[in-house]
Amino acid sequence: MECYSEQIVSIFVDGELAVEEARRLRDHLATCRRCRQLLDALRAENRVLSESLQELPEEAASPAGFARLPWSLGWGDVVVVAAVLAVGSIVVGWIDKLSIPEALQWLDPFSLNGRTNLIFNLSYYFAHGGTAMLDDYAAVVGKFFLLLLLGGSALLLGRRWRLHQPGLRLLIVLLALSLSGFALERRHSEVVTVAANQTVDDTLLASGNIVRVEGVVNGDLLAFGGSVEVRGTVKGDLVSFAKRTVVSGTVEGNIYNFSNSLDLDGQLGHNIYGFVQSLRVNDRGRVGGGMVVGAGDVSLEGEVNRSVTMYAGNADVSGSVGRELTMTGDNLTLTNTARIGGNLSARVRQLKNVHIADGATITGTRDIQVRVRQSHFARPRFYFYQAVWLAAAMLVGWLGLVLFPGFFQASTHAVGSGWRSLGLGVGVLAGVPVAIVVTAITLVGLPASLMLLALYLAAIYLAKVWVGAFLGQMLLKPAGATKSDWLLGLLVGLLILTIIGFIPYLGGLVRLGVVCLGLGAFAWQLYRALRPAITA
Amino acid sequence: MDAQRNNAKGPQLQEGKATQMEGPDLESVIERAQGHDAEALGEIYRLYVRRVFGLCRYMLDSRESAEDATSEVFLKLQRSIESYDGSIPFPRWLLRVAGNQCIDALRRRKRGRQVIVEVEEGAAVIEAASSEPSPLGAVLSTEERAQVRDAIARLPENYRVPLVLRYYGELSYDEIAQQLGLQRNYVAALLFRAKQELRRKLGHRSK
Repeated sequence: MECYSEQIVSIFVDGELAVEEARRLRDHLATCRRCRQLLDALRAENRVLSESLQELPEEAASPAGFARLPWSLGWGDVVVVAAVLAVGSIVVGWIDKLSIPEALQWLDPFSLNGRTNLIFNLSYYFAHGGTAMLDDYAAVVGKFFLLLLLGGSALLLGRRWRLHQPGLRLLIVLLALSLSGFALERRHSEVVTVAANQTVDDTLLASGNIVRVEGVVNGDLLAFGGSVEVRGTVKGDLVSFAKRTVVSGTVEGNIYNFSNSLDLDGQLGHNIYGFVQSLRVNDRGRVGGGMVVGAGDVSLEGEVNRSVTMYAGNADVSGSVGRELTMTGDNLTLTNTARIGGNLSARVRQLKNVHIADGATITGTRDIQVRVRQSHFARPRFYFYQAVWLAAAMLVGWLGLVLFPGFFQASTHAVGSGWRSLGLGVGVLAGVPVAIVVTAITLVGLPASLMLLALYLAAIYLAKVWVGAFLGQMLLKPAGATKSDWLLGLLVGLLILTIIGFIPYLGGLVRLGVVCLGLGAFAWQLYRALRPAITA
Repeated sequence: MDAQRNNAKGPQLQEGKATQMEGPDLESVIERAQGHDAEALGEIYRLYVRRVFGLCRYMLDSRESAEDATSEVFLKLQRSIESYDGSIPFPRWLLRVAGNQCIDALRRRKRGRQVIVEVEEGAAVIEAASSEPSPLGAVLSTEERAQVRDAIARLPENYRVPLVLRYYGELSYDEIAQQLGLQRNYVAALLFRAKQELRRKLGHRSK
C-alpha cells in the first residue's frame, strides 16, 4: 500500500483527520515502519512547538518592548506614592497659606476673569508680531537639544551609567541647597509697603495686590502682585510677576519681568530681561546696561547705555541707545530725537512699516531686512538650516531609539490612536503651562516648574519626531520593525511634515496638530510607562 | 541591563503560573464572573492574563499592541463571558476570544482587508511526500527553545497566526478556519507550510 503524505500524517498528529481516513492511516501505520517514524518525528515536533511557545518570544525578535524599571515595582509604587503624597502635602500646605491674593486673580487660570485675561493677552501678543520670536525660540530649543545630544552621546559612548546617577543626585542636592541657601523675608498682605524710612536687609519676597517699595531693599525684590511699584531703591535684582510694574526709583541690578506692562521712569543699574505686553522707558528712565525683551509694544523714550534687542510688534524709539539696536517684529519708528550709538538692524515684514525720521542719528550701519516668506526658499541658507534641523531631529530620534527603544517605538505607535492622542495633546499643550505657572507661584516649586518646563519643551520638540516616524511607517509599511525601518520612516515622515509645514495657513495648523498629536502620544506613553502593569 | 529586561518581559504575569485552579473552583468563579462579580473577573484575569498576553504577543508584532489587545480581551470579558456556555474548556474559549481580538487588530491595521488570503488554487494539495521530512528534534535545550520562539516570531504573518493559534491557543482547525475566514483545508496547508518554513529557518541558522 502506498505511504501517506507528510501533510496527511501531520493532520493526523494534530488529531484533525476525518474518522474514516484516520482509521485507514492507523491500519497502514501497523504495517509501515517508515510512516511510523514520520509519525513519531511529527509528534515530537508538535511537542517542541508547544514547549517552545510556553514562554514569550525574545524581545529582540520584535524590539518594541519597553524596558521596565529594574527595581521591584511593589516597593517602587510605595516609594512613588509616598513621594507624591509628601510633595503634595507640602504644596497643598503652601497653596493653602498662599490663597492666591486678589491681586493675582488676573493670572489665576481657574477664575473666568483670569482666563479671559490670559487668553486675551496671549492672543494680542501673538497677533501683534509676537510670533516673530518663535523662530528664535526654536533656535533656543535647538541649542538645548544640541547640548542634550552631546551629553547623550557622551553617555552612550562611555556607557557610564554609574556616573550618570551621582551626577543627577549632585544636581538635586545643588538645587536643594540653592533653595534654602538665601535669606528671605516674606511679606504678604493686600498692600505690601516698604515705607520711605524703612530698609529691608535681605531679599524680599512680596506678594499682594499692591507691592510698593518706597524705602530700600538691600537684597533682591521678588514681587508678585497686581501692581508693583518701586519708588525707592532695590540694590539687587527686581524679579516681578505682575500685571503692572512701575519703576520710578532705582534698581541697581537687573530687572526680570513678566508683566502686562513695565514702565521705567527711574534708574536701572544693569539690564532688562522681559516678556511683557507693553514696555515703556520714559524720558526720565535710564538703563545702565542693555535690554532683551519680547513685547507687544515698546516705547523707548529714555536712555539705554548698551544694546537693545527686542522682538516687538511695535517699537517707537525716541530716546537713545548706546550701542546696537536689533529689532524683529512688525513696526519700527525712530523719531527725530532718536540716537543709536551702533548699528541698527531690523527685520520686519514690510518696508513701509519702518519709519526713520531724518533727524534720527545712527552712528553705525542701517540694516533693514524685510522678512518675506518666499525669500526663505530663495536663500541657500534656508536649505542648509533645514538640512541641519532634519539631521538634528534624526539624531535625536536615533538617540532616543537607542536609549529608550521601547518608549520611542511605543510613543510612535500611540500617535496612531488619532483622536485620543490629539485630545490628550490639546489638553497637555494648554494645561502644562498652567501647571508650570501654578507651580512657579508657590516658589518652592520653582525648580519643579523649571524642570516641568524643560520636559514640556522637550516633548514639544519630540512631538515631530514621533509623528514623523508614525507617518513614515504608515506610508512605507515596513515588513519588520527594525531600527533602520523606524529611522527611514522618520526621515520620510519628517520630510513630508517639513514640506507641508511651509504651506501658508494650512502649514501652521498642521504643525499645531503635529505638536498636539505627539504630545498626546507622549503623555499617554508616559502614563503607560509609569503604570505598574497592564491592567484590564 | 539584559537581565533586567528579561525579568521584566512578561507584564508581571507570574501569578497565573503559581496557582492552577481545579475544575469546580473555576466553574464557580466563572459563574460569579457571569454575574458581573468584579472579584471573580479579577481572579480570571490573574489566572489567565499570562496565557492571553502570550498569545497576543505571538500574534501581533509589538509588545505594545499585545498589551492593548490583552487589555481589550479582559475589558470585553465582562460582557462576553455571559456567552460562555461550558461546552469547551474555559481556557480554550478564552484563547479563542483572544485570537479573535488579535485578528481584529491585524485587520484594523490592514484596514479591513483579510489577514490571510488564499492565493493559490488548490493550495491544500501539497505533494510533500517527495521531500524527505526532517522534523525538529525531540528534546530542546533552553537556548534552542529560544531559537524556535525567535524563528516563530520571524515567520510571515500568514504562517505565524495559524501556527500560534494551533500550538499555543490549541484551537482546532475548524476554529482557526472560522476565525480567519478560510477553508479548513487551507488552514491545514498553511500549518504544514509554516512548519516547513520553520524547519528551513532553523536549519539555516544551525548551518
